[in-house]
Amino acid sequence: MSTKVKSKALKEFQEATQMLVNPALQRWKDQGGRVIGCYCSYVPEEVITAAGFVPFRMRGTGSAGTDMADTCVSSINCSFVRHSLDLGLRGEYSFLDGVVWVNSCDHVRRIYDHWKRKIDTPYLRLISLPKKVDEPQVEWFREEVSLFRESMKDHFGIFVSDERLWKAIKLHNETRRLQRQLYELRKRKNPPITGVETLAVMVAGTAMPREEYNKLLKELVDELSQSSAGHSDHRARIMLIGGILDDPAYIEVIESQGGLVVTDSMCFGTRIMWKDIDEKEKDPVTALARYYIADRPSCARMFGDQPRRSAFIKDMICEFNVDGVIAERLVMCDNWTGEQFMTGEDLKEAGIPYIRLDRDYINVGAGQLRTRVQAFLEMMGR
Amino acid sequence: MTTKKLRQYKYDPDTFNRYRQERDYFNFLSGILATMPDSMSQLSKEITDITVERYDQIVRCAEEGKPFVAGYFCAAPEIYEAMGLPWYMIMATPFLAASAPYLTEDIDAAEAMGLGTDWCTACRLSLYYIEAGLTPKPWALIGLIHPCDAGNMLHQAVARNKKWRDVPIFASDPPYFEDQRGIDYYAGELRRMVAFLEEHTGAKLDLDKLREVCRETNKQYEILSEYTQLRRAHPCPHGWGVGGPQAFAATQVFQTGRPRGTKWLQQLYADAEERVKNKTGPVPKERIRYFWFDLLPFGWVFELMPWLEQEWGAVLVMEMFGLQPYTPIDLRNEETIFKGLAKRNLYDSPMIRQARGPADYFASDIARVVKDYDIDLVIWPGHMGHKDGSASTGIMREICQELKVPYIHIGLDLFDKRYTTPEECKDKLSKFFSAMGLG
Repeated sequence: MSTKVKSKALKEFQEATQMLVNPALQRWKDQGGRVIGCYCSYVPEEVITAAGFVPFRMRGTGSAGTDMADTCVSSINCSFVRHSLDLGLRGEYSFLDGVVWVNSCDHVRRIYDHWKRKIDTPYLRLISLPKKVDEPQVEWFREEVSLFRESMKDHFGIFVSDERLWKAIKLHNETRRLQRQLYELRKRKNPPITGVETLAVMVAGTAMPREEYNKLLKELVDELSQSSAGHSDHRARIMLIGGILDDPAYIEVIESQGGLVVTDSMCFGTRIMWKDIDEKEKDPVTALARYYIADRPSCARMFGDQPRRSAFIKDMICEFNVDGVIAERLVMCDNWTGEQFMTGEDLKEAGIPYIRLDRDYINVGAGQLRTRVQAFLEMMGR
Repeated sequence: MTTKKLRQYKYDPDTFNRYRQERDYFNFLSGILATMPDSMSQLSKEITDITVERYDQIVRCAEEGKPFVAGYFCAAPEIYEAMGLPWYMIMATPFLAASAPYLTEDIDAAEAMGLGTDWCTACRLSLYYIEAGLTPKPWALIGLIHPCDAGNMLHQAVARNKKWRDVPIFASDPPYFEDQRGIDYYAGELRRMVAFLEEHTGAKLDLDKLREVCRETNKQYEILSEYTQLRRAHPCPHGWGVGGPQAFAATQVFQTGRPRGTKWLQQLYADAEERVKNKTGPVPKERIRYFWFDLLPFGWVFELMPWLEQEWGAVLVMEMFGLQPYTPIDLRNEETIFKGLAKRNLYDSPMIRQARGPADYFASDIARVVKDYDIDLVIWPGHMGHKDGSASTGIMREICQELKVPYIHIGLDLFDKRYTTPEECKDKLSKFFSAMGLG
């Protein structure tokens, strides 16, 4: 599906998905700016921004193999973990001043264990993320965010005041608002932007200095809002759901068959921006805790919240006029195995076309993917 | 106990078919053990009989409309016991009855349901049993969202399952690190679990009864701790056939805080002590002392473990469920009891202890066991469901290198022998033993 967008901002975003240290991040580093890696979308990156650093979402982009990581983990561990850890072991993440984890899943939490033993990054922290979404968990996470803030002070000597935290929350909410505006345009009958391009926009948002990103994103949204051009050459409108997917090449295969991805429930998608952090809350740390635990669309790992996740998907299907849902997961991921099964049952009951696909983090597996997508579109009568 | 205003429980005898089959299977095993007069077989027989009794108790509760719950060994069974709530594990088949003859057939049926094949077989089986109406539907379910992702997803899928959607479910949220703040938080979760059980079963928790149960468990763990010390002897008094797994079943599943369990542990200790005095082990000549760092391969245990003893003189000196780091519960008041339960269930309980938090526990347990038990070989079976453990394999290997003890990671399914067959395991182990000059 050929792009209709000629935006300079979009080019910059696309470039950012192809490398770890993109030009904007390099400029930031050259000016002495510091960068903290975040291994999950549940890391409260607003604290990092408030400290004056750039939060950078960890990826395995550019990895050519997993030889070094394979000495640490096993073949039943997911390929994202193996590739991103391999890059770390090879020194490709030496531009980071710190890395922060949450106990996202059985695979990612072990990267923390290997990283602290083998890689010389100055600041490492794992935040204990609850697996439920109730009030006691909000309170637990509030304390975790407070401790994280204190540890930043202890290590970097930077006190993240409430004032700075509110400023960062507002800045990140602005990102979310702009990203939602972009998604709003995808509701059009002929969306002005493809799924491939949108993913690039979303990934870039986790890899660039925030103010610069927001400025570029506003330019892009304005440009697209004013344009009447759109993609009409698709066979079906697709919603994509799953975990970590940062490679536009995967969506490119889906769209090459006429399945235009118009919305998602992904880690680099709606789950990180569909809700704002409540700026009316009295305490910024409580606001962060409530957002991450209770308010934002949750990850599959959050127990007791599956009905809300399922409702979120169904709402998206209606809002974006979706014809069918593709669920992707990395092989060996238990969280998304279970979630795919439950979502499939829910969508079957609702009569919504649905397909589950397994994938590898680096190799798109274009041939097989193409065949599966073709069959899915045909099954839908498209 | 009042059952007013509680959900109406409807007994469906069909859902007990498999459960009764399992009970009958244990009865059959008990019959075989009855013909074997040696002390180890008699110890196993007593545990088997205790198991049968629990199965019978659950069936009776269902037939008579009395409350029973589903729970876990690591989700404070002391509390169910003190509340007088009979309980069973929805993972009972893979954990307890995995050598039953229908296991392979059930695994295939679970696969046919569309459950991912890289999802832990124990979890797939449990969900299949519910979907297929083969598991007793409890009044309330205590779920488990740690130590692994697979367990968390299993319980989410159970909660959403049409047949069980009316079964109330509660799961305690686990903090990641081991510290006082985590203990306090988890104690709060256990209190919320009590409120949940009271609401949905009508049973009430009496503090004096809980104290009594915990006092008895303190005795049980003390004896167990002394028993594990005896396993340091050369030769090790018991092998894979008796010890840790049965002691686990007694203390954490079927006889938590009950004098009969304490008595069984005393008999276990006495038998081991006698063997230590007589320098008797499970094989005529102990040639390899190994640490099996996981559950035993219950689905095909008889096809591997005896072979290790007979072919190689390899004796299982310690395994994950026999590793008992339990600290006694402080019985002074409600707060100390709940904090003690939080610590025991979260930081001491086998598999939960190692897999829930950072990999340091894998490393420190290996170091401790290798030194204390004079271990010649550490086996990480690498069960296909234990992703966090296999993601720690490099750390385990390095600690073994430091300790100068061989380490082998097999890669198998503890329940499905087709994943890596017993023959393949034997071949791999034989080659490794030869290469390392063991045995």
